[in-house]
Amino acid sequence: MALFSAFQTTFLLALLSLKTYQSEVLSEPLSLAPESLEVSIDSARQCLHLKWSVHNLAYHQELKMVFQIEISRIKTSNVIWVENYSTTVKRNQVLRWSWESKLPLECAKHSVRMRGAVDDAQVPELRFWSNWTSWEEVDVQSSLGHDPLFVFPKDKLVEEGSNVTICYVSRSHQNNISCYLEGVRMHGEQLDPNVCVFHLKNVPFIRETGTNIYCKADQGDVIKGIVLFVSIFEEPKDFSCETRDLKTLNCTWAPGSDAGLLTQLSQSYTLFESFSGKKTLCKYKSWCNWQVSPDSQEMYNFTLTAENYLRKRSVHLLFNLTHRVHPMAPFNVFVKNVSATNATMTWKVHSIGNYSTLLCQIELYGEGKVIQKQNVSVKVNGKHLMKKLEPSTEYAAQVRCANANHFWKWSEWTRRNFTTAEAAPSEAPDVWRNVKSVQGHCVVTLFWKPLSKLQANGKILFYNVVLENLDRPSTLKLLSIPAPANGTELTLDRCSYQIHVTANNSVGTSPASVIAVSGDPGNKEVEEERVKGTEDGFCLSWKPQPGDVTGYVVEWCERPGDPLCDLQWKNLGPNTTSTVVSSDAFRPGVRYNFRIYGISTERIPYLLEKKTGYSQELVPSDNPQVLMSNLTSYSFTLSWKDYAAESQPGFVQGYSLYLKSKAARCLPGSEKAVLSDDSICCKYKIDNPKQKTFVVENLQPASFYEFFLTPYTSVGEGPQGAFTKVTTPDEYSHILIRIILPMIFSILLIMILCYLKSQWMKEKCYPDIPDPYKSSVLSLIKSKENPRLTIMNVKDCIPDAIEVINKQEGTRKSLTETEPTKPTYLYLLPTEKSHSGPGPCICFENFTYNQAASDSVSCGHVPVTPKAQPSQLGLLTSSENVPKALGKNYVNSLGEIPAGETNLNYVSQLASPMCGDKSSLPTNPPEPALCSEYKTQMAIPMGLASPPSITLLDEGEHDH
Amino acid sequence: MLALCDLGLVLGLLFLSTPAMGSCLDNYQELLGQLQKQADFMQHTSMLLDPYISIQGLDKDGLKEHCRERPGVFPSKDALQRLSRQEFLQILNTTLGHVLHRLRTLQKDIPKAQDLEKLNIAKLNIRGFKNNIHCMAQLLPGSLEKTEPTPTGPGASPSPTPISDAFQRRLEGCRFLHGYHRFMHSVGQVFREWGQSPSRSRRHSPRRGLRKGTHRTHLSSRNKRLMPRGWLPR
Repeated sequence: MALFSAFQTTFLLALLSLKTYQSEVLSEPLSLAPESLEVSIDSARQCLHLKWSVHNLAYHQELKMVFQIEISRIKTSNVIWVENYSTTVKRNQVLRWSWESKLPLECAKHSVRMRGAVDDAQVPELRFWSNWTSWEEVDVQSSLGHDPLFVFPKDKLVEEGSNVTICYVSRSHQNNISCYLEGVRMHGEQLDPNVCVFHLKNVPFIRETGTNIYCKADQGDVIKGIVLFVSIFEEPKDFSCETRDLKTLNCTWAPGSDAGLLTQLSQSYTLFESFSGKKTLCKYKSWCNWQVSPDSQEMYNFTLTAENYLRKRSVHLLFNLTHRVHPMAPFNVFVKNVSATNATMTWKVHSIGNYSTLLCQIELYGEGKVIQKQNVSVKVNGKHLMKKLEPSTEYAAQVRCANANHFWKWSEWTRRNFTTAEAAPSEAPDVWRNVKSVQGHCVVTLFWKPLSKLQANGKILFYNVVLENLDRPSTLKLLSIPAPANGTELTLDRCSYQIHVTANNSVGTSPASVIAVSGDPGNKEVEEERVKGTEDGFCLSWKPQPGDVTGYVVEWCERPGDPLCDLQWKNLGPNTTSTVVSSDAFRPGVRYNFRIYGISTERIPYLLEKKTGYSQELVPSDNPQVLMSNLTSYSFTLSWKDYAAESQPGFVQGYSLYLKSKAARCLPGSEKAVLSDDSICCKYKIDNPKQKTFVVENLQPASFYEFFLTPYTSVGEGPQGAFTKVTTPDEYSHILIRIILPMIFSILLIMILCYLKSQWMKEKCYPDIPDPYKSSVLSLIKSKENPRLTIMNVKDCIPDAIEVINKQEGTRKSLTETEPTKPTYLYLLPTEKSHSGPGPCICFENFTYNQAASDSVSCGHVPVTPKAQPSQLGLLTSSENVPKALGKNYVNSLGEIPAGETNLNYVSQLASPMCGDKSSLPTNPPEPALCSEYKTQMAIPMGLASPPSITLLDEGEHDH
Repeated sequence: MLALCDLGLVLGLLFLSTPAMGSCLDNYQELLGQLQKQADFMQHTSMLLDPYISIQGLDKDGLKEHCRERPGVFPSKDALQRLSRQEFLQILNTTLGHVLHRLRTLQKDIPKAQDLEKLNIAKLNIRGFKNNIHCMAQLLPGSLEKTEPTPTGPGASPSPTPISDAFQRRLEGCRFLHGYHRFMHSVGQVFREWGQSPSRSRRHSPRRGLRKGTHRTHLSSRNKRLMPRGWLPR
């Protein structure tokens, strides 16, 4: 009972206490209204910041409250924003709330008021609004200043594609304001008479320095504007995290582009893990490290946030830590126990937890290629045996590992190189021989091909050659030939030998290659066959040999013209009867000779067939030197026996003879052909390549021919050369030569004989009259200086009178003949000098040549008629007689023949008048001794010359 | 190609001014020729103004027209012609010092490095030009002290009111550069007049200056009026 009484008392007290509390709250409902409301602005962010408090809360009392906030623009009745803001309120706590305006705050006046209500579940009955606070007015325009025009917002940063509201505030009502965005006019809405608002949607990025927006007044020079900084801000890409040691996570990403922001607005990156609630600010733009928590947290949920001045961009990543293990590269990697064919690789891995297994991948490289690939599961230590390796070969082995349970990434490779040990050569060397007989000995040249790397199993050090005399089997001879020789020359007697060749390296000896040389070379004459080569080589075939043949060998020289020949051979099985021989060394236009040998059971090669051919035939490289013989009127013979058809770059199949002639038709056996110079000729085709002579027949005598001979192969003819000219002789020319030549010879002989006979007759019958000038007496007289006995020279005489006789041609007539003849003139006149000088000059004119006019000469022209007596000539010296003397047949005068027209001038020299028969001279002979001078004579043109000829008297008739 | 030519010309001019940085040319005519060429080159708007207009997006109709020199920022041509040679050099040196300072301010509004290249070249060019002015002043007695490298003490440095508005800042920068090129054009003409009539008016020819002996030139009140607005000593 006492216990019940105590419980009842306690309950009543508690109820009283509750009642008291309720009475406190309910009794003062208005005291929870927001108070001390202050409004401030952030123009850059276009934000209104509200600050208030609730004073009437009890001490330590904490209530959830909701505050209703109203924002009006321009006038209080124009409420543009209503928002309920819930928060927990303490006594006297300063509460804050912000609101971002889309319209720049400078564009219009804003007013704010609020009221509050308790929003606590403990006291649901108290949920009612308090009274509104008074309107708090925000009027930025009033503090703008006195500029006539403003544009807002200033220097705003926006993201590309966002919407922006712009306004201008004008102080003047008169001005008409127009606004432009990058030169393009914008159209807005008038907010009030002084404010106009422009709504820009989806603003583009134009340049990093921002977009210019400006407004101008119609009047004046007022321009105001803003720069809108448009940013391109992408979220990070390729965000990924991984761990290499389960201690640290490395997160990487590719930063998105961030254009349009100035340097001070660069991005920052933050990494946040939601399970642990940890956050780190990344130092670098593309990666960040995160310490794995030691409490075995498996799941991680990362948020990478890229942030710039404007906004944030986030990407998320959720993963299990063990699924993102990127193991470290294996370490302590060794290749051990390397033999000729096996090797063991060992390695260690970094542990990634006690429970995890790593999958390791081993790759074996040989000659740059992967030849083995193997996967191995590893806890800590790995081991792998590599088999089937080649002896003496370089290998590379590498290993990498990944988480076997949850593959994420392979580790990096760890690589080791090694070389396997050598082994004995596995194959016998391929041996061939060349046998020559020199001075009764067999000279055997052995050739062998070097073993391939796979066959040699190491470095070949030397070759052993064992000569076994088959006639005397007990006789063996060993030659050791150091590598890298590929042959040797042996001089053997005629005995038969079997030769064993082995290759040796540091480990052992190869199987022996056996070849036999018999005493009989056995090179029986085998006819050579032609074989046609192709691009793939020569296809050779031969007849199968009866009997036991262990195989065949095809032999050829790759450099046929070279003395070293570069002998090649090819081993073929006993059942093979054809093969294709190909080689990169084969060249077009080179003739290759192949020999096919059969190998007997005694390993003795014997020649079966010979083949020859070109891998590609070419046209002949040169033409033969053609000799012509047996030239007749109807034929000639051509021969080219020195021409080496075998040296041509193709099989010469014949010859083409081109013959040019004036004949329109080709001779029988030829056909018309057109040459490269478009000339037409006749072509003889000589199909037999062995034919080296050709007779061109059926020619025309005394005709001109040209011929040209060229060989041809299957590809074509030889080079175009020069034609040789030949003219066939006349049909009768040889007869004429046989007759005329002896006749000429006979006549010449007779003439010589006659001449000799006439000389003899002359000496005997009418010898030469002696010439007094050549007399020896003359010299004797001269020595005695007797001038009287001097023989007179006509040249020394000076004529004082010339008798001219005009006579008819063909007859000699005396001057006394009265027959009328053509007048002939001769005058002997003194020169002008003679008029004043001591004596007259004698001037005569030869009428063959008329005297030239000269100022210094004034010879009178005295016509001499045929009737005039010679004695009268001397009287005709007066000048007045001259006109009279000029007859009608002689009309020359000085004026008629100007000096310049004379063709010839002759100089006549008057000799000293020291001789002559003076008694016969007429009267008044001149004294020429005082006037000896030269007179010019000029030749008269033929037309003007006097037709009658004047003939001087013969010496015998001339009277001196 | 044009850029290469510009660069070549700039380098050439820099080389021209190189001797002045170490030892000055003592040939008056040669130095005057260099100053003329440099002034002619620096007057080209392609050196600064055109790239600036392009970078800042001011190359729009209705906007370009406002990119005009504000009167009083740079001395006018007439004012420069009225100066004595010593005074001219001193004003020129001081003005270019202020230009350098302003270019450094403009540089902050150019984010891209490649866009800054021309600005940096122009700054180098002005420095070389100032050195040549100093050399010319040495040939003109009495003005040596006044054309020493421009001090940055109080009264000499420009102190324009900081403009927080990016648009107004770039418009003012454009106007300033316009005035700068006009100013350099006037400077080139004045230098050309020096070469054409060395003894014209009351200006000092080098020889006359030498005959007069030491002549300490101080900025007269008239010269002070010629100082750019806002740059006057306080």
